[in-house]
Amino acid sequence: MAFYDGFFNIFGLKGWCGEAASSAPMSMAELLAKSSGKEAKGEFFPFPSLDNLNESCPGIIQSRDVTKGIENGFLAAKPALKAVLDPITQPLSWLLDGALWLFATTPWFIMVPILIAISWFASRSKQVTIFVFASIMMLGLVDHYDVAMQTLSIIFVCTTISVLFGVPVGIAMSKSDRLQKSVVPFLDLLQTLPTFVYLIPLIFLFSVTESKLYGIAIILYAIVPVIRLTDLGIRLVDKDVIEAADAFGMNDRQKLIRVQLPLALPNIMAGVNQTIMMSLAMVVIASLVSAPGLGVNVLRGIRNLELGVGIVAGIGIVLLAVILDRVSKAALKRVDMTDVKH
Amino acid sequence: MVEPMVRMRGLYKIFGERGKDVLHHVQSGMGKEELLARHGHVLGLNNINVDMQAGEITVVMGLSGSGKSTLIRHLNRLIEPTVGEIIVQGEDVMGLSADGLRKARQEKMSMVFQKFALLPHKTILKNAGMPLSVRGHDEATCDKEATKWLDRVGLSGYENHYPAQLSGGMQQRVGIARALTANTDIMLMDEAFSALDPLIRTDMQNLLLELQKELHKTIIFITHDLDEALKLADHLVILKDGAVVQQGEPQGILLNPCDPYIEDFVSDINRARVLRVRSVMSAVSEADIAGEVDADKSLEDLITLSDGDTNHIYRVTDNGETVGQIDMKDLVRALVPRASSSASAAR
Repeated sequence: MAFYDGFFNIFGLKGWCGEAASSAPMSMAELLAKSSGKEAKGEFFPFPSLDNLNESCPGIIQSRDVTKGIENGFLAAKPALKAVLDPITQPLSWLLDGALWLFATTPWFIMVPILIAISWFASRSKQVTIFVFASIMMLGLVDHYDVAMQTLSIIFVCTTISVLFGVPVGIAMSKSDRLQKSVVPFLDLLQTLPTFVYLIPLIFLFSVTESKLYGIAIILYAIVPVIRLTDLGIRLVDKDVIEAADAFGMNDRQKLIRVQLPLALPNIMAGVNQTIMMSLAMVVIASLVSAPGLGVNVLRGIRNLELGVGIVAGIGIVLLAVILDRVSKAALKRVDMTDVKH
Repeated sequence: MVEPMVRMRGLYKIFGERGKDVLHHVQSGMGKEELLARHGHVLGLNNINVDMQAGEITVVMGLSGSGKSTLIRHLNRLIEPTVGEIIVQGEDVMGLSADGLRKARQEKMSMVFQKFALLPHKTILKNAGMPLSVRGHDEATCDKEATKWLDRVGLSGYENHYPAQLSGGMQQRVGIARALTANTDIMLMDEAFSALDPLIRTDMQNLLLELQKELHKTIIFITHDLDEALKLADHLVILKDGAVVQQGEPQGILLNPCDPYIEDFVSDINRARVLRVRSVMSAVSEADIAGEVDADKSLEDLITLSDGDTNHIYRVTDNGETVGQIDMKDLVRALVPRASSSASAAR
């Protein structure tokens, strides 16, 4: 006799519920009760949850049917989703594999000067460049050069794609309040959904051996700040300057290219900086789904409790993060012309 | 009569979502406060009828909230009127298409802003050349014109600086150079000198008058400063709560304020410096002439000339011709606001 029996009787729903005994397997609680030789005894006033209602009325589904339904629905949609998404995302696999190959096959004595040159031209700061050089040398010294380059190549590809897609989306959002209102919840979702959770549907959709699996995961996670800050940056552009642009008869295109984007650039660059940082965070988690790089060593450290391996790889990630952060911040500072002093 | 450069007729602006629906309340005499309290709409402009003549500086003056910045933005439709007619050079601005409006903004009207509104990421040279590059002129042409006008406003040598590197006064010179580079007949100046400190402001006013002597633009100048208005204006329009209280030749307004509001306004003015001999002189009647004075001299100049002696009468000349005479006693009377307006009313 379950608690809610009376409820269904009062409303005369007994017939609708049906008498069929639950076909679901026995629950843990029931099993425990049975083994201890007592009848399962419910709480005095149980929460009207699906499982509790099901006990009185078998016509109502159980909670496990919900999760099962989601899974079945996803599996049913999988062929169609895969048919569409697979070809679209295939270039991502090529890009990632290509970048990994390129970073791996370029000998270190060529790669390091290139990286130094990039950091110099981006930041124009001696300090930052020297720091970058020292960090790479240190990673190389403890034989982490190869894995660091793998991580770097993944970040390079994912950040580039995030910017390529994120900036236009941000621009579109800044032009339309309605679009902004409808996109923001998705961005919130992407940012707050635990990173492990969106690996799950991706594993169902794509083979774990494909690089695009972790590529998509990283991009989905990292694209959010660049979209948000592009939108914000354009919306924050000085109204007076926009008015001046209107008063001198600029069309929308001229306004965007000559005024809004340049003035929003500091904010957009801050978004790019955040995107880089977030893809670095995600690349470690993505090692769970076969992303190569420093994350693999971290994972090994956790799995085998190899303290030293985990910590060295962890510090390697910190070094990479600081390098990327300093270079992109120095570049940001350089483009911010409103800050020029006498 | 000559066709005015800009003509505004029956112009109303009511801010709010249902501006058109509450318009009839305003037209039947509802005031600004009542409209806000009863209908939640803000009255921006109330039946504006102003003509602005070619080659003149029309100054629109009013305190903050009087609608003067709203008014100037109607000329190039940065703000859309609720109802009314705006004719610029014989063309109805309200009838322009989006493209036509952009073209008009590019080629007919340039604008100078209170907060300068320069592009911070561009050099002074590129900022000044912006109006031409918007029209699609090549870089060499833009740079050449920009250099010319930067030089004219006294900024040669600063071409490769960025706006943030210049002082406020210099930034506004760039703003003026930018408007001049556009080479439009009409220049809209929205509180252009209000953000500058007093000495620089005087410099800029002189620069503007000097440029105007040479270029004869039609300038619409917005200000809340009566001294500035009286110094620059050929035609003065005084706004209050979105409506024109009085408009006309500034000396006339000073001597014959038609409204207590304007009397209040003009009472703090240094009249000796602002009033011209021309405005106070009377017809020639032979008397003891102590000397000659030019009609465009200020009363202050004449007091200096007479060394403070009020017993003299001076002959007033304009380009060497005698146009009238001025009694020092009339001059002294003109310096007192009440006395002068009642005296001229009696005349």
